[in-house]
Amino acid sequence: MSDKQQPLSGLKVADFSWFGAGPICANNLAAFGATVVRVESEAHLDGLRLVGPFPPDKNTFNVSGYFNNYNAGKLGLTLNLNTELGMDMAHRLIAWADVFITNHTPRIIEKWQLGYEQVRALNENVVAVYQPMQGFDGPHKYFMGFGAVLGPITGYSHLSGFPHRAPMGLGTNYPDYVINPGHTLVAILAALRYRRKTGKGQCIELAQIESSVAPLAPAVMDYANNGCVQGRQGNRLTHAAPHGAFRCKDNEWNGQPEERWIALGVFDDAQWRAFVDAIDAPTWATDAALATLDGRKQREDEIEQKIGEWTRDRTAEEAMALLQSKGVPAGVVQNARDMLESDEHLKARGYYVYLDHPEAGHNAYDGPPFRLSKTPGELQGPAPMLGQHNEQICKDILGMSDEQIADAIVAQALY
Amino acid sequence: MTAAALDDIRVLDLSGEIGVYATKLLADLGADVMRIEPPGGDPMRMIGPFFGERASPDRSLYFWNLNTNKRSITLDITKPEGRAVFEKLVRSADVVVETFEPGYMESLGLGYGRLSTIKPDIVMTSVTAFGQDGPHAHYKWCDIVGVAMSGMMTLAGDKEDPPNRPYGNQGYIGAAIQAAAGTLMAIVHRDNSGEGQHVDVSMQEALSINQETAMQTYDMMKAIRTRTGARGALPIDIPGIGVYECTDGQVFAYLGTPGGAPWTAMLDWMTREGMAEDLNDEPYREFIGNLNLSFLTGLVREPEKLPERLKIMAHLYEVFAKFCASKSKWDLYQEGQQQRLMFGIVSTPEDLVKNPQLQHRQWLQKVEHEEIGATVAYAGPPYRLSETPWAIRRRPPLPGEHTIDVLFEAGYSTEQIDELRAKGAV
Repeated sequence: MSDKQQPLSGLKVADFSWFGAGPICANNLAAFGATVVRVESEAHLDGLRLVGPFPPDKNTFNVSGYFNNYNAGKLGLTLNLNTELGMDMAHRLIAWADVFITNHTPRIIEKWQLGYEQVRALNENVVAVYQPMQGFDGPHKYFMGFGAVLGPITGYSHLSGFPHRAPMGLGTNYPDYVINPGHTLVAILAALRYRRKTGKGQCIELAQIESSVAPLAPAVMDYANNGCVQGRQGNRLTHAAPHGAFRCKDNEWNGQPEERWIALGVFDDAQWRAFVDAIDAPTWATDAALATLDGRKQREDEIEQKIGEWTRDRTAEEAMALLQSKGVPAGVVQNARDMLESDEHLKARGYYVYLDHPEAGHNAYDGPPFRLSKTPGELQGPAPMLGQHNEQICKDILGMSDEQIADAIVAQALY
Repeated sequence: MTAAALDDIRVLDLSGEIGVYATKLLADLGADVMRIEPPGGDPMRMIGPFFGERASPDRSLYFWNLNTNKRSITLDITKPEGRAVFEKLVRSADVVVETFEPGYMESLGLGYGRLSTIKPDIVMTSVTAFGQDGPHAHYKWCDIVGVAMSGMMTLAGDKEDPPNRPYGNQGYIGAAIQAAAGTLMAIVHRDNSGEGQHVDVSMQEALSINQETAMQTYDMMKAIRTRTGARGALPIDIPGIGVYECTDGQVFAYLGTPGGAPWTAMLDWMTREGMAEDLNDEPYREFIGNLNLSFLTGLVREPEKLPERLKIMAHLYEVFAKFCASKSKWDLYQEGQQQRLMFGIVSTPEDLVKNPQLQHRQWLQKVEHEEIGATVAYAGPPYRLSETPWAIRRRPPLPGEHTIDVLFEAGYSTEQIDELRAKGAV
């Protein structure tokens, strides 16, 4: 950790969340200086500890790359909230915190009695953050799901991809990673500012359905105002042509051919001229009918086929460099190997951070998602092992004696 | 009037598409965001969809959505007189957000170094595809280039198609969300220390975490995740997982996953409706009793049993798909979820507008647009803050609507404003 005072130095966060949307948000708080206690339970493990990926020949709860990436630099505490003592310790942790965050379902929040009014009774000026899937009221409040279910429900599946395919979504639990944790972070920082000015805490309710639909506003507004139902358009856009991904020369990797693709977009006629120049002005491309967006739109199939013929003979990196040299927006459809190893730009900026974890080893973590020139943010350490900081937290934060800690272990409250 | 979290923050908004959602987030939490439009108006006003499906710069739903609560001034910062106005505005601003190619603001004499001499605690946020430095810093971008270079696009789509771009400028949106958070982080630091700084947001980095496990899978296992289409990671049809056709659209099913009801609850439902066929007989009944996510991930570990199991699964799939095909997507979603069976409706925009939960929570917002005599439905809040609620307090501005107000506030006289106008600076 650098000596520089970080923006959130001194901020105390009780992180009762699990899986993606909550932990990622608290991860960013930790990277900018907050002390974050991640509360878990052996009785109900964070699913990400179980699914991996795992380093070769290791598969304990402590080595999942999925889990570790979202929990860097947090302190790990295991509490069994189904015991009286465990709940009492949770209450004391909440009383300690400036920010309480959970993404458990309304049913669990009710069972634990950790709704805003209850949390506020423990800590009047806390910023209490909830990320229920559907919100705390309404006919669907108990509906459940992961990002995989939220993507279809919120419209990403219907709107993304090619029209001749099933609405398969984006291949990930998409809203869990930037949309929901990012929105939550914005709300928390705004609430902390208000708290600084007024002394007042507040409740932040981020209903994941609302947070995830918000970025699709144009399609929603198109229906709400115009009755127009947008559908899947593949990689095309109404106001650009050509616009899409094109197959390049295969790589060989691990003795197998590997597909390579380049993405590009031409948004105006000047970019089209630059594009034609970049591909050495073949006869088809110099056709005056293609000089305008309308003209290109009319013959988009043909243009895409011709571009595919051009890209097919080039590596994705060559095509990108050539097109970029003429000012055409183009980029390799990169995979994780590109991101970690071959992308010289990411390397030069030092985006990925390698940390040594006692069990998992030397692994890559996502760095902070934005760079501040004077307080750049920094992962404070690898993710905690299950219950790694139990003793430290019990002593330093909860003020417990050795004897009380031993009792908590026997009572399976620290579990 | 309720309190707003950011009502003492003033933002000069020079952002293009890649950053404009960031200033919307700040404005909707109460910041005074001044959108600086070039003479002739913001080009985003010409991006559809349009209100009433009539393409016109005063009807862009795309622009409107991204500019709620903002004021607008037209200002030509490429002219010396325009730059002088901008510098004057910086004196009373907290934040400048810009999305030009790195170095462009410096070339106008408006880089962070210069702005911080005018206003030492200014926060300047720059949002670009690749950030302010590094070998690709000057690469040209559009949304698809960002999602491609971030590693997330390679995960989306069917093997037979090109990788899929997510709908709706998700690259721009993701970068802008991180930019809003980064800006507020810098504001928190300024409040603590009195020190401003430059916030550098790279779309590529902002989106990296969207790769889910792909980055760690390569880091730890040297294996590359790629797009797997509708079926997901296992190249077989799994009963109860994936996209299913209904009478009027599709649902996504995710049965047997942690937290939800077991597959046997699904069988009970099908039995009640007389559509279980022979699934209550063996070997199906016992198989269903074991069918969950950990069973599925263990399939490959017992290859000798695989052919028989695949045969059983194919039959389950067929009967399950028939059940789905007999029902509407809303019935499957709502009745399924009421039994804790994890169904998600594949919503169209129409379904989102008609969604009973969003309606109950009054998510869509009504905003008056007197100039065109219409009430316009807007997307609602991404979050709800109890003390300082998200709110649309002001409809998006007309081009330059607040130029005079803002110049008066900055101390310009009527004569000076006329002069600026004559020079084409405002």
